[in-house]
Amino acid sequence: MTETTKTPPADPTPAPAPHGLIPLPPAAARALLLLGSVATAASAFLAWTWTAEFPGDLTITGYPGGLQWLTFTAGVLTALLTLASYGIRGLGWLLPARNNAPLVLTAIGGFAVTWFTVIAISAELGGLANLEPGGWIAAIASLIPLIGAFALPQDGNTTDGGKEALKAYIAKPDRIPAPTPTAPWIQRAAITAVTALGLGVFTYGIDTEYGELFVGYLIVVVFTVWALHTAGLLDRFSHLIAGNRSFTLAMGFLAAIAFPFTQTNDHYANIGVNILIFGTVALGLNIVVGLAGLLDLGYVAFLGVGAYTAALVSGSEFSKFSGVQFPFWAAALTGAAASLVFGVLIGAPTLRLRGDYLAIVTLGFGEIFRIAVNNMDGDSGPDITNGPNGIPAIPDLDFFGFDFGETHDLGGFTLGRFANYYLLMVLIMAIVVLVYTRAADSRIGRSWIAIREDETAATAMGINGFRVKLIAFALGAALAGLAGTVSAHVTYSVVPTPYQFAGSTPPNSAFLLAAVVLGGMGTVAGPLLGAALLYLLPEKLVFLQDKSLLAFGIALILLMRFRPEGIIANRRRQLEFHETGQLDVPQQTTLTDEPAVTKAGA
Amino acid sequence: MNTLPQQLANGLLLGSMYGLIAIGYTMVYGIVQLINFAHGEIFMTGAFGALTVYFYVLPDGTTMWAAVPLMLIGGAIVAILVAVGAERFAYRPLRQAPRLAPLITAIGLSLALQEVVRNFYPGADKARAFPSLDTTHDIGSVTIKDADIFLILAAVVCMASLAVFVRRSRTGRAMQATAQDPDTAQLMGIDTNRIIVIAFAIGGFFAAVAAVAYGLKYGNVDYRMGFLMGLKAFTAAVLGGIGNIYGAMLGGIVLGIAETLASAYIDEIPGMQQLGGQSWANVWAFCLLILVLLFRPQGLLGERVADRA
Amino acid sequence: MRQRSLVILTSVLTTGALTLTACGSRDDSGDKGGDSGDSTTLTIGVDAPLSGENSTTGLGIQYGAQIAVDDANKNKLVPGVTFKLKALDDKAQPATGQSNATALTGDDTVVGAVGPLNSGVAQTMQQVFASADMVQISPSNTAPELTQGKNWQTTKERPYKTYFRTATTDELQGSFAADYAYNGLKKKKAFVVDDKQTYGAGLARIFNAKFKELGGQVVATDHVNTGDKDFGSLVTKIKNSGADLLYYGGQYDESSLITKQLKDAGVKIPLFGGDGMFASTYIETAGKASEGDLVTSVGVPADTLPAAKQFIATYKSKGYKGDYGAYGAYSYDAATAIINAVKAVKDANGGKLPTDSKELRSKVVDAVQNSNFDGISGKVSFDQYGDTTNKQLTVYQVTKGEWKSVKTGTAD
Repeated sequence: MTETTKTPPADPTPAPAPHGLIPLPPAAARALLLLGSVATAASAFLAWTWTAEFPGDLTITGYPGGLQWLTFTAGVLTALLTLASYGIRGLGWLLPARNNAPLVLTAIGGFAVTWFTVIAISAELGGLANLEPGGWIAAIASLIPLIGAFALPQDGNTTDGGKEALKAYIAKPDRIPAPTPTAPWIQRAAITAVTALGLGVFTYGIDTEYGELFVGYLIVVVFTVWALHTAGLLDRFSHLIAGNRSFTLAMGFLAAIAFPFTQTNDHYANIGVNILIFGTVALGLNIVVGLAGLLDLGYVAFLGVGAYTAALVSGSEFSKFSGVQFPFWAAALTGAAASLVFGVLIGAPTLRLRGDYLAIVTLGFGEIFRIAVNNMDGDSGPDITNGPNGIPAIPDLDFFGFDFGETHDLGGFTLGRFANYYLLMVLIMAIVVLVYTRAADSRIGRSWIAIREDETAATAMGINGFRVKLIAFALGAALAGLAGTVSAHVTYSVVPTPYQFAGSTPPNSAFLLAAVVLGGMGTVAGPLLGAALLYLLPEKLVFLQDKSLLAFGIALILLMRFRPEGIIANRRRQLEFHETGQLDVPQQTTLTDEPAVTKAGA
Repeated sequence: MNTLPQQLANGLLLGSMYGLIAIGYTMVYGIVQLINFAHGEIFMTGAFGALTVYFYVLPDGTTMWAAVPLMLIGGAIVAILVAVGAERFAYRPLRQAPRLAPLITAIGLSLALQEVVRNFYPGADKARAFPSLDTTHDIGSVTIKDADIFLILAAVVCMASLAVFVRRSRTGRAMQATAQDPDTAQLMGIDTNRIIVIAFAIGGFFAAVAAVAYGLKYGNVDYRMGFLMGLKAFTAAVLGGIGNIYGAMLGGIVLGIAETLASAYIDEIPGMQQLGGQSWANVWAFCLLILVLLFRPQGLLGERVADRA
Repeated sequence: MRQRSLVILTSVLTTGALTLTACGSRDDSGDKGGDSGDSTTLTIGVDAPLSGENSTTGLGIQYGAQIAVDDANKNKLVPGVTFKLKALDDKAQPATGQSNATALTGDDTVVGAVGPLNSGVAQTMQQVFASADMVQISPSNTAPELTQGKNWQTTKERPYKTYFRTATTDELQGSFAADYAYNGLKKKKAFVVDDKQTYGAGLARIFNAKFKELGGQVVATDHVNTGDKDFGSLVTKIKNSGADLLYYGGQYDESSLITKQLKDAGVKIPLFGGDGMFASTYIETAGKASEGDLVTSVGVPADTLPAAKQFIATYKSKGYKGDYGAYGAYSYDAATAIINAVKAVKDANGGKLPTDSKELRSKVVDAVQNSNFDGISGKVSFDQYGDTTNKQLTVYQVTKGEWKSVKTGTAD
């Protein structure tokens, strides 16, 4: 063990083909990987530190706690993949291309999360002395698979050293063998299993109680997903989805509905509902930006219009129309309609502008909305919105005697106030997703894409550009307004401050746009994922205290640097990006594109 | 007392500052079609660069006559470094990326720059005092300060030199060529990367000049000063016709005057009493922008182009 | 190329390891909470903007409460109970504040919360705390509606029995300021400006009404936006109006700029504001222009109370960030009120804390209602609406670059 610790950084000479960067025979490398990953997983059962001061209590020998679970998971994953690379029966599906990149990536993941933990312990408790032997063992054990991984030969046949050699380790192979056809029920079972797993992973992420755990979680998730991507499993899964779209969608919603039932603390339902509101609005913006290609920098104003409308007719005693109390469906429709009217009012004169001119006009509108709402208190403007005080004391919703403000017991599960609203928001999101997918696949949706790609050509082909853009704008506005009506009730009050162009916390126009771009423009899951990430990152980075915003800013830059097309790239967009960016293998692109087209027709 | 001349002067001063910052937006946009939303923060770092020179480099008691040029240099160095660094490390890798990716980078960059200054610059978690030039002069019914004179002079000198630079120098012409058609320019032997860096650097320099003028005029700087100024300057650049350097200055001045006059006089219009005052000024400024764009979609001095999108 | 990056990596790792070992020692000074059977740790939540906008003031609230908790632990104010602080950042956003409120109510060790800074945030939190029956004491909310209901001018009605505040309402402060401006300073023509935020607009509205009632003339009003830097147009208006006093409702960020631009333009009238401006930052950023400006603040002057002086000294010596000036002392008192309430509950329960966290929280609410002790901003006790009964207000004026108290009185 003492020998191996010295090896990794010491010898950088480029080795000839069958070796990796570290000169070891492949069999030994593989064995190192397996042993190391098992050792890593086992080390999670030791005590890493002596005091419970470090969150998660890593002092117990016998079972893992907190961050140790993550080390354990990463170790087990690496071990499984290594076994699959040995060709163990039953695990072959994990590594369809028999490539080494997934091994390397999970090994890095395990190493990163373990070392992050060890460093965090030392940094927070003040010194390496705070590590128990278990911590040292874990650090060393997690290093072994890394050595093994880099001793494996690269997948490509790169012989030159340096950056390229490293890149080859994590490259996705050009050709992933096509899966053997499976029975539909197996496909559905697989989707169900993945959805359940996804819910589990997501729930774990939301429920992380302290920032260190969340960072560790992100490390493991990022490397695992990356590994699955290079293994070709993600491609296979998207095939599966393409074949079972409605089933997947249904499973997705089931998982979303299941979320509050997994929670005992209403706080996480609160986070969940905020993410849903943010994500739904981002999805609405995706119609405008992702499909129609209109850059809208003042989109949050439509959320505001919806929220204010709902608040005004909610029956709050602070509302200008305090006598009026609409039932929720009416309030929701009114809110959406009001947003729609504003969307048309703003859109009609300005949508003739192109590109960035439209951006600044929408930005201007967003600011006008915020300032106007802030001033309309009867003192420095007409008395409508109660100015900076906003409209507080918005009553909770009540559906046929089901009071959203109360805690309800449902078959052994307790649903708190925010869980109720969460479920309502899932319904709203379902509507928005439905509208989005229907619109995107319709004639109008194709017109949007045509306009986005080349307005001049589209107009020449007989598309009424202005009308089509106005529909996108109005539809996007209405969906945001709809989400706004719920958000007014969730937060009990509406005030002007959240509806700004840029701020440090969602939702604001810049964050909405970031959610769309970060998640992947033109996709359904992208903005939702982007919104979740953008909401959770600042929330969980609190342990960095006043450096949290700094970390968040840097994270945004890095994410865009390494994944400019968004986490979930739209297929069409990815093609576009790769065409202009670098040479790509043509057969692979047709491979992924084809089934979607045929299945869509089916 | 007739306040109009004074209000016009106020607007002109504010507008010149917008104009100086807007140059940075417009030059970068003209060449790479990128809205550098972090430019407001470059302006802010320029101010802190100048502040550093005054408080930590110059000996105590340096006269302002000697200090101001050195502060300008210090501010310019910092702002140019930040601008060029942002280009090199944040924007350049994204040049082939989807059009909106750099926008998100810019948002991240602007958050990060603000937070770096707030966290690591001594005392910058609140506003910091900046040496100011407060001696006042009465010209007719208009009162202005030394700092105002500095601002006007700086704006005039900067604009004139930029005009000469762009028209006469080789690099300036290369910039024009790149703005017209980057691909052809590159084929003609122009190093477009260099041109882009220069555009960022000039933007940074102008922002630093504006930042020093800002400090001298208002007497304090803070880490959030760039946000609103940047937003306004961007508006000014669009108002004037983005891509056009004279348009940026004109747009800035029009915006500044419009804001000032709206804040001063709207509430005197019968029926509009409640819609006046400074809190509504931005609304009127944006309304003006929208109106201008409706009738001149390319901005005041912008050229009509077939397709910008 | 690879060598270089390896060298960098190795050196970074080595330096990191060296630094860590260098200062490595098992720190044993922390509390030995787990050892003794009867010692419990209770948490006091803080919600305030700790990053971004308003964070300077927000950090003042956090560390104000921190010092209170440290003092309580050091002096063993409640024997057998160790307090710790859980500070959450609401970024001045209502939805974030609400999420923080649910985080605090969801944590069983939390007995009460201090915060938030902004009234708009408070509106979203009040109901959450009320549902959980947990006490919330804001050190800075001044909107009368929060404690006295919508129709506070006519019929006061308390909306939430769990909400308290150690800050006074706009009503008291605005009236006191108007009275001092008219009767004390003998000013007859005021120009009233606010920043269109709950605090500033409320204060300005009440000053406006009261000043007129007393017989003064409000020559004009104007409103600015937070974040504005150029007040040239406003200053010209003020100059032209012939006002002899500028009353400003808002924070020092804008008012320090306004006063400077005002005096630079040759308008030598004082600027008068509320406790949101009462911070040394105001004087530092406005410089000489702040000379003669005034504020009102709650409580008696700090230099007459040794505890308050001690507080400021501790804050400075710990090197805490943020600004204690505006709300640090109220925050200290708010946290202390919760701690004292815990003590009262424990004493009333035969020296034992109720084991059920719900019961404890509920009893703490009642105990806070009955608070009565000397805090560092004056006497701390609450009336039937949850407002502080401390109606002592002091007017401070900038004299030779420092805030000097010029009048202390009781608002009615």
